[in-house]
This record gives sequence, structure tokens and C-alpha cells, in this order.
Amino acid sequence: MEISREIYWNVGNSLTTIALMYFFTFLAMGYVVYLFYKRYKVYQLGKPLNRTDNLAERIKFMLTNMAGQIKVRRRSRPGIAHSIFFWSFTILFIGTFLVFVQADITDLFFDYVFLKGDFYKVYSFSLDIAGLVGIIMLGGLFIRRFVFKPKSLVTSKEDTIIHILLFAILITGFLIEGVRMAATELKTNPEWMIFSPVGMVIANMLSQVSDSVLLLSHKIIWWVHLFIVLAFFIVIPVTKLRHMFTITANYVFKDNGPTGKLVTLNMEDETIESFGVSKVTDFTWKDIFDADACINCSRCQDVCPANATGKPLSPMSVINRIGNAAFNDPNINLIDDIGRDSIWSCTTCRACEDICPANNEHVNKIIDFRRNLVLMEGEFAGDEVMQAMDNVEVNGNPMGLAMASRGDWAIGLDVVIMSDTYEIVKNPVDVLYYVGCYASFDARNQKIAKNFVEICNASGIKVGILGKEEKCCGEPIRKMGNEYLYQELAKENIENLGKYNVLKIVTTCPHCFNTLNKDYRDLGFETQVEHYTVFLDRLEKENRIPMKEEAFDCTYHDSCYLVRHNDIDDQPRSLLNAAGANIIEMDKSRKNTSCCGAGGGRILAEEHLGTKINIARVNMAQETGAPTLISNCPFCLTMFEDGIKMADCEDSLVVKDLSEIIVERLKKS
Amino acid sequence: MKVLVCIKQVPDMESKFKINANGTWFDENDLAYRINEYDEYAIEQAVQLKEQLNNVDITVLSVGPARVKEALKKALAMGCDDAVHIEDEQSSLKEPFQIANFISDFAKDKGFDIVFTGMQSQDRGSGQVGIILSELLNMSCVSTIADFEYKDGITVKRELEGGLKSVIKVATPVVLTCQLGLNTPRYPTLPNIMKAKKKELLTIPSTELFSVDSSYEIVNFYHPQKSGGSLILEGTVSELVDKLIGILKEKTSVL
Amino acid sequence: MKLLLVGEYQEKKLLNVTYDLVGFANKLGAEKVMVASGYESDLPKFDGKLYLANANDVGEYNPSVHKQMILDVVEKENPDVIVFIHSSFGWDLAPRVATALKAAQFTEVIDFKDGSFIVPSCNSKLRRELKAKTNKTVITIQAGAFSPLEEPIGSVSVENITPLGSSNVEFVSYEEAEAKGLDLTKADIIVTAGRGVGKKDNIPIIQALATKLGGELGASRPVADNEWVDHSHQVGTTGQTVSPKLYIACGVSGAIQHLAGMKKSEFIVAINTDKDAPIGEIADVLIVADVLQFVPALTNKL
Repeated sequence: MEISREIYWNVGNSLTTIALMYFFTFLAMGYVVYLFYKRYKVYQLGKPLNRTDNLAERIKFMLTNMAGQIKVRRRSRPGIAHSIFFWSFTILFIGTFLVFVQADITDLFFDYVFLKGDFYKVYSFSLDIAGLVGIIMLGGLFIRRFVFKPKSLVTSKEDTIIHILLFAILITGFLIEGVRMAATELKTNPEWMIFSPVGMVIANMLSQVSDSVLLLSHKIIWWVHLFIVLAFFIVIPVTKLRHMFTITANYVFKDNGPTGKLVTLNMEDETIESFGVSKVTDFTWKDIFDADACINCSRCQDVCPANATGKPLSPMSVINRIGNAAFNDPNINLIDDIGRDSIWSCTTCRACEDICPANNEHVNKIIDFRRNLVLMEGEFAGDEVMQAMDNVEVNGNPMGLAMASRGDWAIGLDVVIMSDTYEIVKNPVDVLYYVGCYASFDARNQKIAKNFVEICNASGIKVGILGKEEKCCGEPIRKMGNEYLYQELAKENIENLGKYNVLKIVTTCPHCFNTLNKDYRDLGFETQVEHYTVFLDRLEKENRIPMKEEAFDCTYHDSCYLVRHNDIDDQPRSLLNAAGANIIEMDKSRKNTSCCGAGGGRILAEEHLGTKINIARVNMAQETGAPTLISNCPFCLTMFEDGIKMADCEDSLVVKDLSEIIVERLKKS
Repeated sequence: MKVLVCIKQVPDMESKFKINANGTWFDENDLAYRINEYDEYAIEQAVQLKEQLNNVDITVLSVGPARVKEALKKALAMGCDDAVHIEDEQSSLKEPFQIANFISDFAKDKGFDIVFTGMQSQDRGSGQVGIILSELLNMSCVSTIADFEYKDGITVKRELEGGLKSVIKVATPVVLTCQLGLNTPRYPTLPNIMKAKKKELLTIPSTELFSVDSSYEIVNFYHPQKSGGSLILEGTVSELVDKLIGILKEKTSVL
Repeated sequence: MKLLLVGEYQEKKLLNVTYDLVGFANKLGAEKVMVASGYESDLPKFDGKLYLANANDVGEYNPSVHKQMILDVVEKENPDVIVFIHSSFGWDLAPRVATALKAAQFTEVIDFKDGSFIVPSCNSKLRRELKAKTNKTVITIQAGAFSPLEEPIGSVSVENITPLGSSNVEFVSYEEAEAKGLDLTKADIIVTAGRGVGKKDNIPIIQALATKLGGELGASRPVADNEWVDHSHQVGTTGQTVSPKLYIACGVSGAIQHLAGMKKSEFIVAINTDKDAPIGEIADVLIVADVLQFVPALTNKL
């Protein structure tokens, strides 16, 4: 006789059993659908948003990420435990599904049984191992949560219930198998038992139990298992277990980018009465849905640089408060509920979004709150931010320096001012260098601008600048909520850039780069834009930069706006290596980089709360023991210069921009 | 209640000023313009009074070339109800007395209860227009107010030297010139910016208003010799101390 | 040339700045006559005539009546120029008198040359040279621009006057300044401590210079952040923006945020061991020296 298992052995496959089983199952599933439907109504409180375009691609993304548990494993230990648990449970689910397929379809209608023979051997063995591994992983996660109690992990009643249910399902499952095998295989086909190893162990333990006890126990445990599973189903929509569906859906409904793209508000629409978000109903359905995808793993909070330095901001809490309002009291003012200190503290570094296994979108919600505060209430992160915005409005830079002197740093250098049409015709430029406010006006950063020009000259690249026609790109303004002023600046810049048919724009500031390359596209800007590290890396690989390699030790800080917003982490390293660098990486590098604190418009603001973000990062650099910290962003450079002074480590650490390393090594002709 | 706010558009003081061809004023190219800081306090105070009393109509007025319309729009966005642009391409060469006469010719039959304006302009700094206006319109006038209260009439505090203030009560109609510290001008919210686009902006060429002759001539307009221009001094400490004291006595009035 | 000088009294005392008017008259070698609303108990010391209205009757701030007082004396004395101090009293009254006389008015005069008055413009970045076309001229003079070097001596001959007219304002009282968090924007002199000062214990050196000059202590951002000096002293874009007559930056390198907060100062002295410190770009004088040596020496010599 071929190895197989009698489905419905002992519980009977009579109509009573089947009918009752399906009756309760459908009842439970119906209730589950109802519970999800109620939640769906709450999502509908939000505004419409199309997240189903390119559906095939979205589904493929979801399948890859769900199957691969890719974001889950960003935190390797609990991540691997969850992944294995997930795969185990998936295998068990497939196992049960196959039983349903055979019992209710193939066997019932076609007399076809496939759970037998070699297939069954593989099937049964896989399920047993999956179940065992599942229990072990669950045990590990249980110990982590309830015994080790990691500080940031929030544990509530629902976590206890979920653990109990999961253990119960797996254990009763094995008991059913073990009892069944004790009453059948143990006696009739002991050679089959090895293909259900866990069941075999249990069966052996029950070898002395009488058949009648075994049969009765089996029936009881079978029905208990069914009801626990149904209870599990019912609990799904009302606990974080819903993430099985909501996170899956969240992967489908992902933001197709580009990364960090903000919604460009329609300033012309006179019917719009309110801008930004203060209540749940101002959000889109997706913003509310994110709260249901959140499983409170607190990874976002753990990587948040503001949270790490004592600000009241917790990205997880922002998501939760929105969900709390949506499901309990949609009329509350979310800004009062979450708190202005939290809202203004965000640096938009996107570490939260990058690490979130649920693929939630934290940052744009915070910027939506900021938009409401600025555009509707005229409230800012501080008086100094209002002053900076005023300065940008009048003079096109947050320092409030004379706009006519914006190009003065370039006086005497081999740089063409684009409006100097006579010069342009004589010597057409290869690239337009978009300088940015800091490189134009701040003495420390003007060096970077001059360096960039020098490197280009040495490489035979002709550079042009807008000079006084250039205004602030608007990035910190936009991130601080002033969408109106940002659009005014952007339109003016786009108009000025459009006057000159440049093929390529290069910038030394990741924020300008990000803004011109993404934000400006919504306003019709089409010119190609590159960050200077990508531009120079290409030139270097083509051997066009006359640089003499000179060895040195350093550590490299990945700017948030390069690595997380734009996936640029190889090119700067490649340039550094070409220059002779021995890069001693910090623990938090590449995608895990830790913000310098100046993003999100915070470069304009005073840091009053908690400890300084820039000092925290400087300390991380110091821990590498490298004497030089390399960065390539004017904000990072400014923050690190300040941070090094404040941390009193000028003797052991020096910060340099990547351009300075290259210039130091340019061969003098 | 009818309130008039008189504002001037001035170049941002961070600008690098170049002398114009005639040597009478600075070249207006390449300058970033803004509302005169002291006039911002005037606008804000008028808007706060409107929020307090509700039944207040604020007219904001400015004398100048076409570009001052931007300043008027910002004032409307801050909360003024309607705007008047007295258009004059040569306003920067006109004298305070001439400017005040344009304004008084416009305002004389409008029945304004209070006129708010800045105590002086950041570019010319004459500090005369507001006060002359009060004389021409036969209104009371208190200058340099750093505090304003409307409760059973108007009580203001003038800012005197050394942190001292004087408390003055005055009845309408009155001209009040505003000093730094009176209030914090609000940032216009977006709905207000959009509403401002629909508010009335009346343009009156200055040639249609009462004109007086000039009372003085501009002999010269120039950059003073930079008393150092980053004069770098090196030497022994005592030499440097003596040198500095000498320079301070010569170039400043503090010693 | 004949000058009518308008003296100032406050809280029953003659204000010392009144002697700037005398200094101005002496510099021009002009004939002078003074008018004031004041008190016989505190008369100015100079040789000349003083028309005195009794401030007990006429008040210390009463523009319409004071205007009349001055016009009465103008009628009697027929001066060429009526001179006020550019003070809260002077700049309030001068335009009223000028309007009544249809006279040209020049504000904050800092010099007189070949019949023209010189006034500052645009935060003192520029100068205008103006010549009146009218018969009479009204001017306000910048306090401190014409201060006499000598001690005031002499005695006035007083003629009491009683201007007619009604007040259109009601003076209620004076109010002293509240100790409301340091307001550096009103300081005429600021001495700022930068990182070059070294440590908190050295701050008193800088404070001593500030006190000696009658000015306020300022702080650069790192100094405030390190809490060597309270945050209320911070100068810069995230502190206070100031424009004093004299700004002395001690050991301040000149980060752009600091420069933005003080570059409107009329005269800037920087003390720094680094000749190339960015602050040198806006300083009028850069003293290349160690702050800890130079500042005490300067304080002692003053």
C-alpha cells in the first residue's frame, strides 16, 4: 500500500462533519470580511489616490518582497526569525490548501488522490519540518519580546493573544498528527513514520495509550484546532495580524517614486480651501491605510536621528496617531495631537521609510502637517525660519545676502556667466554648474565651488553658472512646508535655466540635485541633472581627471539625500579610491547612514531640543579612528565643521569635502 | 473705522549699492526690493486692530514706480482691504514734503480715523513723511510708537532713548509712526495671498495729485571713504591698542 | 549764519545731548540762540540767549504747543537754520516746524561742507550732500557727531516765553525699561565673544571691555551653545540681528550666520589671530592679535 493519509480520518467525512466545518468556517470568514469592510470604510475617509497604475509591476514587486522578506531582513536576527517563521507558515498553509484541493475537488469530483506515494513523503516531511521550525522561530520571537524585552518594542495585550493563538495552532496541529499516527501508522506502517518526524516522536510517546482514548482525544483536538484557527482568523482584522493582508497590499500600493517625491500642490485651483493636513480627512486613503500596515516593530523609531537625540518625534507614533484618529475620532486636530515639536524635528532623512518592513510612508505626512502650519496658519519651526524664508523671498537665499553678489565667488575664475551671451557664443559651456546658496555665499563652502571649477578646468570641461540669476532651489523652503514660496522660486529658476540651452546641469549639493532632478519635473523642467560625484566619477573612469593618487585614511559619510533619496553610494567611494583613500567605514554607512541633522529644512532652524544630531554623527566618525571625515554636501560639511568644534575634537578629526581631496591631488601642469 | 497705512518699497539693505549716472541716488538695477521694515509694523498693527474691532476698513497706499504694486499685494495678503498705488517713476528723487502732499491730496476727503506708517524708511531715513502728513491733514500725530492699545480710545507708548518709554493718550483722527518692537509682522497665509489677488488696487498717477516744488538740491550722493576697508593692523599689543583707540576716536562717535 | 538750537529736557533734567547743539554751532562758527521747554532749576551752560518755556505748564512732550513755541522764537530771532538733535524728541518735532515754515528739512546731519549738509543713507552705507533752496532750513543732527570736546562753561541769559495753543495729545507718564531679556538691537556698542576666547573663564575679559565702553556683551553661536554666555546674548541669524555704532568681535571667525547678524554695524573691529578669518571681509579694522592679550590691554587704556 502506498504511503498516504486518510483525510478526515476519525472525524469522519460525513456531511455532518463537513457541513459543520464549512459552516463555522464560512461564518468566521464572513465575520472577518465584515471586520475588514468596516476598516475599509475608515480608509475611505481619506481622499482618493491612484496606486494601482502599472498593476503587473506592482504585483511582481509585492511577490518578490513578500516571498523574499527583503525589508524584514534588514534587521537580521529578528528578521531572519520572522522570515523563516513566515516561510514555515506559508508551507503549512499550502499543505492545508492541498488537503482542501484533494478533499473537496479532485477526490470528490474526479476520484483523484495525489497526497500519496513519493509526493506525500515530501509533502509530509516538509510540513513537519516547517511546523517544527515554525515553533522554534516563534519561540525565539517570543523570548525576544517577553524575556529580553528590547527597549523600543511595544508589547500589548494583543501580542500576548497572538502568541498564544499561534503556539496553540502549531502545537494542536502536531498533537493531531501525533495522536493520529499513534492510532494508525505506529501500529500498521511504522516505516512511514519517518516522513513525519515530529509526529513520530509524539506517537512514540503515546504508544501505551489505549485506542479509545486516542480516538476520542483526536476528535476533540481536531475540533479545538479548527476553532482556534477560526479564532485566529477573526482576530486578524482587529490586531496587527492584519499585516498579513495590509502589508501585502502596501507593497502593491507602493509609491512608485521617484523616492521622496512630494505632491506638487495646485496653487492655481481657487476651489481648494485648505492646504496641507490638519485632520484625518485631509489625508489620502493610503495615509490612513499605512496605520493598518504598521506592526509597531519600532524600527523606524530606532533609526530616526531626531528620536535618537531626544526629540519627541517618533515616526511610528505619527503613523499610529493618524490611525487612532481615523478609527476613533476623525475630527481631532492631528497637529495638536502629535505635537509641533515632533513635526518640526524631522530631517526628512527617510531612514524610517527605508527600514520599514511594511513599506510605510512617514515623511510626506509630516511635510503635509508642515504645509498646513505654514500655508494656513503662518506658523513656522521658529522665528529664525520665518526670517530665512523672508530672506529667500527678497534676496533668493536664506542668509539674506545681496542677490547681485551671488556669483561673486567666481570672479577671476575660468567660469562663464550664462547671461554673458558674447562669451557663451565664443566658448559654449559643457555643463551648467548650479551652485546653490551655501557654495555661493558661505566662505567654507565657496571653497567647494571653486574646487569644482578647478577640477573641471583641469579635465577640460567648460563650466557656466547663472550667477545672480540663480536663486535658492527652494528645497529647505519646501521641506519646511512653504509650498507657495517653493513654487515661486522653482518657476523663476526653471525660466532662467530655460533661457540657455544647456544639455546638462551639475550641482555640488545633493539637495539642489534632488530638487532639480525630481521636484522640478512636475513643473515642466526637463534638463538632465547630475550630482558632481557621479559626474566626476565618470570622468575619472575615462581617465580625464589628471589626478595623482596619494594614500590616506578616511571615513566617508553618505549624505541622506545622495544614498537614500538617490541610491548614490558607489560613485563617491570609487572617486575616493581613485584618489588613494583607505575608507574605514562607519557602522552606519550606505543605506544605513545616520543623518547630519540639517535635512528637512532644519539647516535653517535652531536645534533646541535634546542633544545635537551633528555631534552624534561626529562621534560615530571618531569611533572609526580615521583622521579625516569626508562628506559631499554643503549641509553635512557645515554641520560637521560645527559638530567637530562643539565636540572639541579638532585635534583628532578634520572634515573635508570630496572635492577638496581631488583638488589636493590634481597634477599641476 | 477707516484706517490708512502708508508704506514704502525699499531695496534690501544687504544689496551692494551703485551710484546712478546722475550721482543723485543709487542705481535701481540688480536690487532686491521689499516693504520698508518699519511700514511692516504699521501694516501689522492695522490688521491687528481690524481683528480686534471687526468693523475696520484698511486702505494701504504707496508712492512709487510700477514695482511697488508687489509691496501693495503683500500688504493686501497680510490683511489690508484695498490698495492705492500713487504711480510715480521718479519717486525716489522726490522729497518727503512732495510725497506727503501726494498722500494728503488723496486722503483729505476720505475721512481716515487712523493713519499708520513707519517712523522712517530704511533707504532715505528722513522720518518726515508721516509727521508732515499729519500737519497737512490737520491730524494729531505721535511718532515712534512701540506699543499700541485701543481701549476707551488710543493709548500708545513712544520709545525714547535708553529703553525709556512715554505713555501718551491721543484721540482720532491721528497719524501714528511705528517703531521696531511694536509687533511681529505676520507671514501671509496662502488663502490670504489668494484672496489678495482679488482685492482692489487703484492706480493714481502722481501727476493728478497736488504737487509742490522741491525745497533742496542734491549736490552729491556717494560712498563714504571706507574708514579701513578691512584695514589689517599688526604689531605689538600696545601699539595696536593705541592705533585702535585713535581710529575709534576719528571714525566713530563712541569715544 | 544764525542758528536756533532746540534744547531737550526730560524728567525735569536738561539732557546732556543738548550740548551737541552747542558743539555744532561752534564747529560752524555760527551765531546761536537756544529755545527749550524746561526748568530754571537746570539751565544749560553756554554764553548766549535761552528762550525758556516752563515745562511744568507746557509739558515735556507736547508737539503742537512746542511747535508754536519754536515758531514764536523763529519770528523773533529770524534764524537761518533751526537745529534739533536727532532724538525721539527732535525727529518728532522737526518736521512739524519745517512744514509750518515751508523750510527744507535734513535728517540726521553728520557734517556741514560748503553750505551743504551731509546726511547718511541706507544704514550709513552711503552719503547725501544736500543744499537747501528755501530761506530757512530745519535740521536734526546725529547725536555724537558734533559732541563738544570741552566741558560746558558759560551762562545763559534767560527770556521766559509762554506759547499759546492747545495740546492734541495727553502725556500720561514715563515708563522705565523692563529687564526683559537682553535686547541687543538697542545697544550702541556690542563687544562679542567668539570661540577664540578659549573658555568660559575668559568671558569676564570680554565683559570688562563691554562694560568699560558702556556697551553690551554679545556672543557667537558656539559660545552660546557651549553656554559660556547665556543665549540671550547671541548675535547671528539664529540669535539677534544687531546694528550698533561699534561692534567689536573678539575671536570670532566670521561664520556666515554670525556675519548676517551683525554686518549692518556701522563700524566693525575684529580681533583675531587669523589674518584670513572671514570676519576680516566685513570688518573695518582687523587687529591681528591674541584676544586674551589685546582686550585687557585695550580695556586698561580706555
